Amino acid sequence: MTFSYNWLQSFFKTTTRPPHPPTFGGPLKLPKPAKLAELLTAKAFEVSEVKEFGKDWVLDIDVRPNRAGDCFSHLGIAREISAITGLKYIGDTYANSYANLRLEEDKKLKAKDFVSVEVKNEEACPRYTARVIIDVKVKPSPKWLTNRLKVCGLRPINNIVDIVNYVMLETGQPLHAFDGEKLEGKKIIVRFAKKGEKIVTLDEQKFNLCSDVLVIADAKKPIAIAGIKGGKPPEIDRKTKIIVLESANFDSRIIRKGSKKLNLRTDASLRFEHGIDPNLTEFAITRACNLIQKIAGGKVAQGLVDFYPKKVFPKRIKLDFEHVEKLLGIKISKKEIKSILKRLGFKLIEVGPMTISVTVPTFRLDILIQEDLIEEIGRIYGYEKIPSVLPTVSLIPPKRNLDIFWEDSVKNNLKEAGFTEVYNYSFINEEDGKLFGITSPNLIEVENPVSLEQKYLRPSLIPNLLKNVQTNQKIFQDIKIFELGKIFQKPNKEKRMLTGLMLGNAFYQVKGLIDLLLNKLGISNIWYDEFKATPEESRAAIWHPKKCAEIKVNHEEIGFLGEISPRILEDLKISMRLVIFDFDFEKLTKLASEEHEYRPISRFPAAIRDLAVLVPSETGVEEVLNKIEASGGPLIRDIDLFDIYEGEELPEDKKNLAFHIIFQSKTRTLSSKEIDEIQNKIIKAIEEEPEWQVRR
Amino acid sequence: MKMPKINLRVLKNQTQKEIEKAENLKELDEIFKKYLGKRGELTQVLRLLEKLPKTKRVKIGREANELKNFLRTAFDQKAQELKEKAQKKIEEKEWIDITAPGKKPVLGHLHPLTLVKREVEEIFGSMGFSVVEGPEMETEWYNFDALNIPQDHPARDLWDTFYLKNGLILRTHTSPVQVRYMERNNPPFRIIVPGNVFRHEATDPSHEFQLYQVEGLMVDKDVSVANFKAVVGEFFRKFFKKEVKFRLRPDFFPFTEPSFDIGISCVMCDGKGCSVCKEEGFLEVAGAGMVHPNVFKNSKLIPKDWQGWAFGFGLERLAMLKYKINDIRLFRSGDLRFLNQF
Repeated sequence: MTFSYNWLQSFFKTTTRPPHPPTFGGPLKLPKPAKLAELLTAKAFEVSEVKEFGKDWVLDIDVRPNRAGDCFSHLGIAREISAITGLKYIGDTYANSYANLRLEEDKKLKAKDFVSVEVKNEEACPRYTARVIIDVKVKPSPKWLTNRLKVCGLRPINNIVDIVNYVMLETGQPLHAFDGEKLEGKKIIVRFAKKGEKIVTLDEQKFNLCSDVLVIADAKKPIAIAGIKGGKPPEIDRKTKIIVLESANFDSRIIRKGSKKLNLRTDASLRFEHGIDPNLTEFAITRACNLIQKIAGGKVAQGLVDFYPKKVFPKRIKLDFEHVEKLLGIKISKKEIKSILKRLGFKLIEVGPMTISVTVPTFRLDILIQEDLIEEIGRIYGYEKIPSVLPTVSLIPPKRNLDIFWEDSVKNNLKEAGFTEVYNYSFINEEDGKLFGITSPNLIEVENPVSLEQKYLRPSLIPNLLKNVQTNQKIFQDIKIFELGKIFQKPNKEKRMLTGLMLGNAFYQVKGLIDLLLNKLGISNIWYDEFKATPEESRAAIWHPKKCAEIKVNHEEIGFLGEISPRILEDLKISMRLVIFDFDFEKLTKLASEEHEYRPISRFPAAIRDLAVLVPSETGVEEVLNKIEASGGPLIRDIDLFDIYEGEELPEDKKNLAFHIIFQSKTRTLSSKEIDEIQNKIIKAIEEEPEWQVRR
Repeated sequence: MKMPKINLRVLKNQTQKEIEKAENLKELDEIFKKYLGKRGELTQVLRLLEKLPKTKRVKIGREANELKNFLRTAFDQKAQELKEKAQKKIEEKEWIDITAPGKKPVLGHLHPLTLVKREVEEIFGSMGFSVVEGPEMETEWYNFDALNIPQDHPARDLWDTFYLKNGLILRTHTSPVQVRYMERNNPPFRIIVPGNVFRHEATDPSHEFQLYQVEGLMVDKDVSVANFKAVVGEFFRKFFKKEVKFRLRPDFFPFTEPSFDIGISCVMCDGKGCSVCKEEGFLEVAGAGMVHPNVFKNSKLIPKDWQGWAFGFGLERLAMLKYKINDIRLFRSGDLRFLNQF
């Protein structure tokens, strides 16, 4: 929100008169604009910009929402400046003494003869004050006034409207002026809109109202959207003679709701939705009448119309000096604490040696508990003066987080294997879903996506990894990437997945990687099962039907391995084949174990024999391995498949498997005779299979 | 039998000269054979010794044997010399261009956010903080209400929120985990909470709708702003590995009271003022404050029994400062030209 430096300066004068007409300078000079901005930033609100504007400066101050109630106003900022600098400001006396703003009322004219106010719902409108001014001259405003409005970004209209806006910028209280002669039945009724009611606002916008929008109505129709915007019918124009001035307080939630519903935000609604002190209405309306009288002439009718059934009184909060020290970690003298609070407008009553009772002015809607007061003390005193003191705490070592431990371990292993980690967005678009055979009813949809690209939460890490390939394939031929992140499933499940891919015809490389990875996690008994998709299984759509496998430990599937279907790759314009692994990371961490045992190196030599077996193409290597192992017995330490060959020189539909068989005993040196015997046993066992043949 | 004339001195000179001249091991071997081989000249002398009279035999024999030993040493030395020369020659021939580029092994890369996250976890771990995590889809209660951000309050506008059709929201900060953790654990404790957070806003080089945040929370009988300054100060010094000044400025978060934002002296210019810190010398990096009593209450703790502080910062911001990254959107771009640099 923007503020005028000169306007702020005008509150710092020795005279107690309200700042009209404004005089710049005065004996109490504020720090220069840049310096003032620095002070405000350090102790109150961030000033994001200081800009010269004619003979004035604009300060863009980021008033936080808790202080909107009192600091969306020049008076409020002046109060802050006074508390920070110690300079006495004029508002100190004037905000509390309406006497200085005494109006000359015309005793022959009675306000209630011109307007009557009826509030239908006092929760929605805790206070409504109105005044009537007769015989005003509507004309352009004087220059000093229009200048101040312009500095704050407002467009001057005419003296009446400008004064109303001026008082809002000064006090924080939005006001509204009606042409008294245009009010049907001389009535103002505060009520909720009726179904089907419409309104045209001052700027000619049409709105259809509904029953949760609060309006100001006359006897017949809505004439303003309460707290948001005035209506066209009772608009002030050059012919206006009778002004009915409204200064009211509306419930913040109702204004916020209405403003959202109509999608209409105004300077008034912004202030009301943050909440305003109901005691402010009277001061603001007096101030406005005062200015109107001076600038637009006219007579103020006698009497303040005031609906205020539940007067708000100041709260009292007990402040314990010891608690101040305990929370801030520094001892601030009682004298200093009291001085800070007084400068901020709090009243203090001593109740004990270490306690005071603090009376909170009603404009400080944000101060509710003792800690709120401590913040005021801390910031004005200066956080920079608080020392750094390491806490004295019991020596509790941090709890080890196993999820994080395994996460780190897995990432390290993948990195060592040449994989690069990516972080993708947690969203996908509709096309991604379709491509993967997951239709929108099965996805968690974002109600208000930033764009269609983020319409759904990702049900798998795969779609975005494939996008990474799309964007990188022009530059990199050898892509190996992975991600560890959450996926989202209906209705409200999220789980962590570990997914990666490698470009190329790389099924066996990835399979080997998985074995290694699981091995490092201390997971054994891994096996690969053929994937038999049930017809309704949607994920079947993305895999190459002949090149994929379920990764299992015991009887549980913990992940999936496979080549992406060429059909999908074509749709995504990915030019190379690629293989993906996809793990349920939570299952991995459950199975993972840090136990690792060293296997002593045998003191006795190992012997290697080779074995080549011709088998039908569709025979699994696993079957042959099992046969060798079973027939060879415990002296086989390892069997290593070193070649698979299919093609020329071999009968059709056959493949040749070549193994190194490693024999070793833990207790003795094996004789070659002994090894030959085992080898022959193996050969015999293999040849018992009708279609297998050992090649010699 | 007549004794041939034996002149050992001549033999010695002759042999020495020839050894000297030898160009390679093969030549040297020939020379060896010529003098010390089976039929070598010196060998023959030695063989003839027995035919000499005893007096002469002793004298010449000793001289001949000395010569033999002497020549052996000379041969060995020469052989060694020639060997070295030959090796040197081979090595010379094997010259390579050391300015040609090396061949790099293909390594993988961890994401910069992972690197920064690990460092943060390690530093706070060393100060006794445990790492805790929480869900990314959150209820409005944990994300807002429990954190003292009431419904229909403009304070909610501070967090632009993604709403989901399943009735949940995407958490806008990691702070809900404060409440989730306090509900199940009794103080005292020190935790940090890393994780994804989501903000409904348009992206540009410094704005992103999905961010990685770290939350910190310390609760005990009496922990104060002064303690907070010490712990966080220590963190920044360790993280940036230099003396970092930091400052607290008033701010507003409904779940802390008092609240402040944390600025650190610009790590690019050491506080002198540069384009990164917009000439201010300081960078805002985190929000923090003392836990609001209502948050304790909503976590089923008795507010007057406990005090604590909490902070939150974005890892992207720290990574950008640490690695001088100029566009926040790179983190989730999946661009290998970016990722391969870490």
